[in-house]
Amino acid sequence: MMLSVKGLRANVGENEILKGLDLEVGPGEIHAIMGPNGSGKSTFSHVLSGREGYEVTAGSVTFEGQDLLALEPEERAHLGLFLAFQYPVELPGVNNTYFLKAALNSIRKSRGESELDAVSFLRLIKEKLKILHLNDSLLKRAVNAGFSGGEKKRNEIFQMALLEPKLAILDETDSGLDIDALRVVADGVNALRSPERSMIVVTHYQRLLDYIEPDRVHVLAKGRIIRSGGKELALELEEKGYGWILEQEQAA
Amino acid sequence: MNGAAPTSFDTWLSARADGEAGAGLDWLEAQRRSALHQVREQGVPGTKQEAWRYTSLKRLIEQGFARVEDEVTALQLHDIEELLIPGLDSHRVVMVNGRYTPSLSALGDLPPGVRVTGLRALLASDPDALRERLNGVAGESQPLFAALNTAGLDDGLVVLLDRGAVLERPIELIHLSVGMDEPRVAQPRHLVALADGAQASLIERYVSLGESLYCTNSVLELSLGRDAVLKHDRIQIESPNAFHITGLYLSQDAGSRYVGVNVGLGAAWARTDLVTRFRGEHAECDLQGLYLAGDRQLMDYHIDVDHAVPSCSSRETFKGILYGKGRAVFDGRVVVAKDAQKTDAAMSNKNLMLSQNAEIDTKPQLEINADDVKCSHGTTVGQIEPEKLFYLRSRGISAPLARRMLCMGFAEEIIDALQSDALREVVSEEVGRRLETAPLT
Repeated sequence: MMLSVKGLRANVGENEILKGLDLEVGPGEIHAIMGPNGSGKSTFSHVLSGREGYEVTAGSVTFEGQDLLALEPEERAHLGLFLAFQYPVELPGVNNTYFLKAALNSIRKSRGESELDAVSFLRLIKEKLKILHLNDSLLKRAVNAGFSGGEKKRNEIFQMALLEPKLAILDETDSGLDIDALRVVADGVNALRSPERSMIVVTHYQRLLDYIEPDRVHVLAKGRIIRSGGKELALELEEKGYGWILEQEQAA
Repeated sequence: MNGAAPTSFDTWLSARADGEAGAGLDWLEAQRRSALHQVREQGVPGTKQEAWRYTSLKRLIEQGFARVEDEVTALQLHDIEELLIPGLDSHRVVMVNGRYTPSLSALGDLPPGVRVTGLRALLASDPDALRERLNGVAGESQPLFAALNTAGLDDGLVVLLDRGAVLERPIELIHLSVGMDEPRVAQPRHLVALADGAQASLIERYVSLGESLYCTNSVLELSLGRDAVLKHDRIQIESPNAFHITGLYLSQDAGSRYVGVNVGLGAAWARTDLVTRFRGEHAECDLQGLYLAGDRQLMDYHIDVDHAVPSCSSRETFKGILYGKGRAVFDGRVVVAKDAQKTDAAMSNKNLMLSQNAEIDTKPQLEINADDVKCSHGTTVGQIEPEKLFYLRSRGISAPLARRMLCMGFAEEIIDALQSDALREVVSEEVGRRLETAPLT
């Protein structure tokens, strides 16, 4: 198993947001996590990536057999975890190319690989831009500074392409995107699918899953996964809304 | 230093073995006497005086700095090679401990209408070229350290551009301090005068060999004629134990443009006074600054912008990074005279605090006496934002490197304004190197 989450409970301040979450993700699998607002989707993404401000009170998260929760955010990235942010952070004054190079070389170094020199790095960047059909204008700018919503999301996918994670978490990557931007982002994600790379696609809406086809769909509500199924579950949700499944859950 | 701690700056003005510059020039003697009188009158200003409200002179005066006595003659070019900036093609003037040192300088070919020389030499060869200019911008009545500099006036850089003269390559002044057997003070006195329509760029660098204790008290008088343009970068990387004081006195005629970047990284104790006065309409002054106040370091900036005439614009943009027990002062003042309509002035000071023990006193002020003006001022004091830090760390970047990247990002705007890539690279590296060892508590 690539990722194994068992009985995960987490608080933000006094409030318990995750209330015993279980999830297993195998290599190469794409899992969609859907759920209404406030169900704990973003909290789950943040806890996995090691963001401050969350207190894990019970349960475990293992990533390729390692205790993920014991690691610093950068150590998780070194292992191959990647979070595509719902709201990518603007870093004025920090050049995007410099940032990408620092990130890639940090990860390479952690694996005992040599740092890439400027020439090899630029060659790699060009190659990745081509795969994602992006132009190089975003390289010269400061990280996300003054980027449109679509550009920010594309920059996230671009980072993912470059850093080649084993497990990518896409946190509401579709939010705020029009249909064209959504397609560009989804195409990028699909280009990065591989038998070794798993993904967790967190989304409120089914429409992203029209473009990124999941192997499994999970419904997160009130801090737990209350239903899992194949991709047809997403369509059912689209048709009937979350109310239906919540009622069923309460009845059970 | 013998006996009780000194209580005056008299030791700064002890006699030089090789005689006073311009000895026998009556007008210069009169200026020196007047300055000495002002030094005596002012005594040692206390913190009740507005200009010294945030900074005590105790630490400075206790050092009992004595005037530099002898010329340093032993230095060879290879001794200073590591201080040169690769890729910077300049007319180079090197001063050592306050003295112009021709053997280390490389002036190269200067175009017609441009004079670049040492003050002491010019006082000997053509004093009339200086008579109207020395103290012409700083004025008769001077603040303490300018008066001390005038009273002890010895040597410095003189740059004179005739009407319409254009200098393509920058003039680079390297002021090098070399440790002596006891703590010494050097008081370089520079004069830069651009006649109407002249254009030049100037780089001033204050550096040291070793980490010795000394003091530099420099004064630069700068006058820009009508439509003259000067780009001026000043980079202070004195020894970590040094005291550095500088006064820039700038006078701008109509249509002139001054673009200056002031970088303060070195010295234990540094005080900078920037005083600018508009004398003609439609002149522009763009003053930017970057300072690092590291552990037990003081960076004290006083900026005085006098919009005495209409339709001029000024920008004062200063950014500081403070860490350890670093301290900084930003005391900026823009005065718009009653008739100075259509003034456009914006002053800003932003500070990034990396530790809780660092301290900043920031006080940008506007005094507006005209009614049709566009003026603003602002100040911020903040920390590194956790979400930015997390974003970088989530990409595999270690926390210390991520912090450094964010600091560099903060400083980027000012470093970017430097006049050449070679300079930007050197300053970037120096800032990065300092942040690498910065204590974060």
